[in-house]
Amino acid sequence: MKLVALIAVFMTGALLIYGVEDMPRWGDPNSPASSHVSPKYIQEAIEKTATPNMVSAVLADYRGYDTLGETSVIYTAAIACILMLRKKRKGEGE
Amino acid sequence: MLDYIISKYNFWIYVVLMMIGLYAMIGKKNLIKKLIGMNIFQSAMILFYVSIGVKAGATVPILSGHGHGHVHEVIEVAKYLNPLPHVLMLTAIVVSIATTGVALATLILIYRRYNTLEEDEILKIRKDTGV
Repeated sequence: MKLVALIAVFMTGALLIYGVEDMPRWGDPNSPASSHVSPKYIQEAIEKTATPNMVSAVLADYRGYDTLGETSVIYTAAIACILMLRKKRKGEGE
Repeated sequence: MLDYIISKYNFWIYVVLMMIGLYAMIGKKNLIKKLIGMNIFQSAMILFYVSIGVKAGATVPILSGHGHGHVHEVIEVAKYLNPLPHVLMLTAIVVSIATTGVALATLILIYRRYNTLEEDEILKIRKDTGV
């Protein structure tokens, strides 16, 4: 069992190491992640949202619905924890 | 070989972290250890995304001295880190907190019912009682 787990883990690791070859160098300003859409956000965030902090501008303005859904995820998790951990009243459930 | 590792050492670190987490999730019998493995895995992913947004010589993506939304000079893109991975990882951290909380609550219920958190012992109890 442990051996199977080790083999699976090392195979996954080898695949990922193989993929590392195509990744950009550390701190490369022209890496694909930093050269397509993110310059637009950096340049236009202050004009469009009047927020100096770009992270919160993207989080709360551009991706507002995403954050709303995230809040509902937290709410669902809280409700699930409460339902699982509350003390049962007499004559209810198990 | 060593040069090759050093040139992209950050990704090697994340791969090793991810392998530790994955092994804990698959190979360990204790359910708490599995959960901690999942958290290590998530941390590896979060570090990976944050490192994608790094630009050498850049600063945090917060403009200084522009309180009112009127910018007169051009903003240099290379001077600020990529904010998008940070935002996505903020969301991922929130989701990981939610899943960890629900998982811990579930583990408390499992412990109350079986008085153990070892996977093989739980399976044995279930087999013996014929559930």
